[in-house]
Amino acid sequence: MNYRSKRGITIYIALALIMLFFSLPLLWLLSLSIRTPAEILVRNLHVIPHSPTLQNFAQVLNNHQFLGYLWNGLKLAIMGAAGACVVAVPASYAFSRLQFRGKAQLLFLVLGFQMVSPLVMMVPLYRSMQAMGLTESHFGATLIYIAMYAPIATWTMKGSIDAVPRELDEAAMIDGCGRLQAFLRIILPVSLPGLASTFILTAMLGWSQFIVPFILLSQPDMLPISVGIFYFFGAYAGSAMQLVAAASVLSLLPIIVMVFFLQNFVVGGLTAGAVKE
Amino acid sequence: MKFNRTLLLLVIFSIGCLQPTGSAWAQDLVAPDRIGRSDAPKSFTFRVLTAHSNNNAQPKFAAGMAELYEKYARNHPDWRVRIQLMSLQIPQEHARLLEQARNGTAPDCTSMDSFAVPLFIHQGLLKPIEQYFTKEEVEELFAFVRPIVSDTEGHIYAWWWTTDLRLLFRNTAHVPDPPDTWQRTKEAALAAKRTTPGLDGLLFNGGRNETTMVDFLPNFWAQGGKLVDEKGTPVFGKEPNRAYLLNAIAYYQDLIKSGAAPARVASITDYSDLTASAIAGSTAMMINGDWVIGQMQAAMTPDAFAKWEISMLPGPTAEQRSTASGGWTFVSFSKDPEKVKACMDLVREVYMGPAVEVLQLLPTRQSEFDSMPMFRSEVYQRIKQYLTKSQARPGFPIYTAISNRLQIAIGSALSGSRTAENAVDEAMEQVAKVVPKP
Amino acid sequence: MKMALQRRHSGKDRKSPGAARSALRFNQGDHPFWWLCPVTIVLAVFYVYPVLEVLRTSFTDATLLDASYRYTLGSYRSILLDPALLQILEATFVFVAGSVIGQTTLGLLISLALQAGLKRRLFGVRAVRVTVLATWVVPGVASAITWQLLLSEADFGFFNAMLKFASLPPVPWLSDPWMAVWSATVANIWYGTALSVILLYAGLQTISPTLYEAAAVDGATAIQTFWHITLPGLRPTLLITVIIVSVLSLNTFEIVMPLTGGGPGRSTEVLALAAYNMVFYDFNLAQGSVLAVLMLLINLAVATTFWLLFRGSR
Repeated sequence: MNYRSKRGITIYIALALIMLFFSLPLLWLLSLSIRTPAEILVRNLHVIPHSPTLQNFAQVLNNHQFLGYLWNGLKLAIMGAAGACVVAVPASYAFSRLQFRGKAQLLFLVLGFQMVSPLVMMVPLYRSMQAMGLTESHFGATLIYIAMYAPIATWTMKGSIDAVPRELDEAAMIDGCGRLQAFLRIILPVSLPGLASTFILTAMLGWSQFIVPFILLSQPDMLPISVGIFYFFGAYAGSAMQLVAAASVLSLLPIIVMVFFLQNFVVGGLTAGAVKE
Repeated sequence: MKFNRTLLLLVIFSIGCLQPTGSAWAQDLVAPDRIGRSDAPKSFTFRVLTAHSNNNAQPKFAAGMAELYEKYARNHPDWRVRIQLMSLQIPQEHARLLEQARNGTAPDCTSMDSFAVPLFIHQGLLKPIEQYFTKEEVEELFAFVRPIVSDTEGHIYAWWWTTDLRLLFRNTAHVPDPPDTWQRTKEAALAAKRTTPGLDGLLFNGGRNETTMVDFLPNFWAQGGKLVDEKGTPVFGKEPNRAYLLNAIAYYQDLIKSGAAPARVASITDYSDLTASAIAGSTAMMINGDWVIGQMQAAMTPDAFAKWEISMLPGPTAEQRSTASGGWTFVSFSKDPEKVKACMDLVREVYMGPAVEVLQLLPTRQSEFDSMPMFRSEVYQRIKQYLTKSQARPGFPIYTAISNRLQIAIGSALSGSRTAENAVDEAMEQVAKVVPKP
Repeated sequence: MKMALQRRHSGKDRKSPGAARSALRFNQGDHPFWWLCPVTIVLAVFYVYPVLEVLRTSFTDATLLDASYRYTLGSYRSILLDPALLQILEATFVFVAGSVIGQTTLGLLISLALQAGLKRRLFGVRAVRVTVLATWVVPGVASAITWQLLLSEADFGFFNAMLKFASLPPVPWLSDPWMAVWSATVANIWYGTALSVILLYAGLQTISPTLYEAAAVDGATAIQTFWHITLPGLRPTLLITVIIVSVLSLNTFEIVMPLTGGGPGRSTEVLALAAYNMVFYDFNLAQGSVLAVLMLLINLAVATTFWLLFRGSR
């Protein structure tokens, strides 16, 4: 019991330090978000300002486009992640289970696409999307998200499928399943936790994606929060930081809600591990 | 878990449903994305800086602009204006505009930062607009405006409607008289530090940002320095401009070496950092923009605010003074003359006048200073005088490359990783590589 | 059918007859073509053209200012012979190496702590998870500005004020060229660890709990368990994590730009930021493309190195 509780305390201390490091900037952001314009430039160590206010949150929520920014961000992130996963899963199965020539090279080629900076691709990307008539639409943006995140999704899914013992495949196929059926009925359900974390990963990447929606969308009601946040800055940078901070804090809310509800489903509640011995 | 998931779906759904639907605005003349009736026959696209529109994040400004837009809508019932928003990410926004202008998908009417205008004029992407303004209106513009928005033949391509300038702010409790030379500024800063230990003498932007250039260039210009010649070829690395640059950098270095300015100016890239220091009372002087006057007034007690005064930036001698002005313009990319006229009508009726008062920004014509109540105060009249001596950044596309390289040079010189001479020469070398071929 | 079932249960000699039957039947499924189709189509249609364009542009002298251009190796020469390249690579190296080590280590620590905490049903574990994830969800520019405020060297800068409290001298977090890179790296570690946590936590779940139980029965200490069970089991996940973190860190400038702009001088100008400045300030598309190609090559080299190092026995 003594040893156990010592371990418990070590874990607590570790978690507390980690919490401190990660929450400090967030707390500061929170502090900025409850300041009046008069106090936003008052910089002292008081985390709580003299006259805290919720009016920034009200102003941000009253902004006609703010909720739209959040919704668009969520929509693009989720659709992009879903598409990337759908496209990546068969590919990662192939990379994991099948033997073929040039497999490693192909794997690196796929990742290589991920490595080209989207920033520099901005101009040709815009031109090609325009030629295809896919600018100014969420559909077009989603397709680019899928192309951007499929490589990472392939790599991470491959890792998950690798962790599933081959005996399962072979057992299923001996039973008379085709490879496709073995995949759909056995492997996929078993690697669901891995798929879920791949989905979450690509969704998070999509949430913070700036360049692609910036270059492809110009109607304010289509923009995600990663682009929309810039519209809360005043005429001179820094002159409306309290609103930017409030908008940032509010953009956490849907995610926090989702994480609390999805936690058990996603990052671990399911009986861990793939193989029932 | 089943309960959780249902609740989750409900939460997402309700957030999605909170989207204000378009129909709520259909009857109004002004909506966040539209000016004019939604069934008006003619329309043009209008991309505007968020803070200059009815989408300004602060409700009082948004309401003021919405009112002005409504007046325009009543005067032009045939037009529907589709509003797009522009953010303060100036390099990206203008690169996107450049690409869209080439493609033919640029908005009909758009905000443009003043220092990007020359780039677009040189590319032949803009339509002349001088026919929409009277000669008097054009003549009243401050001197620094015309060279930027015109071409060599005198056609005007952009209407520069709001500007700003840099001032020397001082806390009269520490620095009673306005220092007019570099030497006096340094002495005043050191004197203030002696009487009040822990105080910073003078703060300014010295980090890697365009703000640094705008604060620095007046020191160069005051000596008569030119970054480029009349044809647009960079000449800042050649004599006598090179000497002027080195003088100005030496002034900055001296401020830091003597302790008048803290070493951390080499990392300051943001005016609000400076303003915050002034409000906190931790600095005696700062170089900042006119717009912080309002911010300081809002954040400080009346007594504390009353101690602060503005003056023209100091120069090498009392007679050689200058300051830098930026600001925003409107341009039109449309090939349809009707749309260009409608765009310029919007500029005339809303922005060339009423908007500066609503948004509390500086106008670009001397007459506006005298006619609008807000600008008749003593402070603003002095600002008007300073604006007559102000300069804008050179009207050539190569400026952004020069700015990038000079920021690097100044930062390296201030942090000591390079000598000023090497830094400037390197900047000149790098810029020479990207000069467009004739 | 019965025979097949019996064979399965017998285990060892499954290979021969059953496998032959499988091979015949599943020739279709064994060919990678259909499995790779979706990915290939998506990448080919939407990504190949822009990527090829970037490669092509690097061999020209194209700028955003001029519609015309010529093919030349001049852009490569400009970049590779630029004396500043060394400094940029140095900054990038510190930034990427620091981010990879920092994010992976912290990610591992957090995942382990989360797993252990969850097992013991410790209070507050969820809060840690949410906080770490929140760092990624907050718009990057807001985070960068907040870090700038915390690192400010003015009197009111949080970290320096804390140092003053402890009677320590202030640190030039952002105005000293050397220190600035580390500050930017720490901010990036803060920003990106969330991704490592997601990956490593999922990886931890793939380690069978029976192994841990066996170790506990054997009386292994925490460190022994970690070294002999957790780490080896995490090896494939660590490989993927390290590669992904390095790719993302190399391509990122969202945090660095608002924080320092690349300064003072060029001391924090990582490759991605140099490419940004090249395209948006110098309007030099060709040299920006050269930098993108450079980033691609470095990325590939780093990924290949990790792959070879980590593969070991699989």
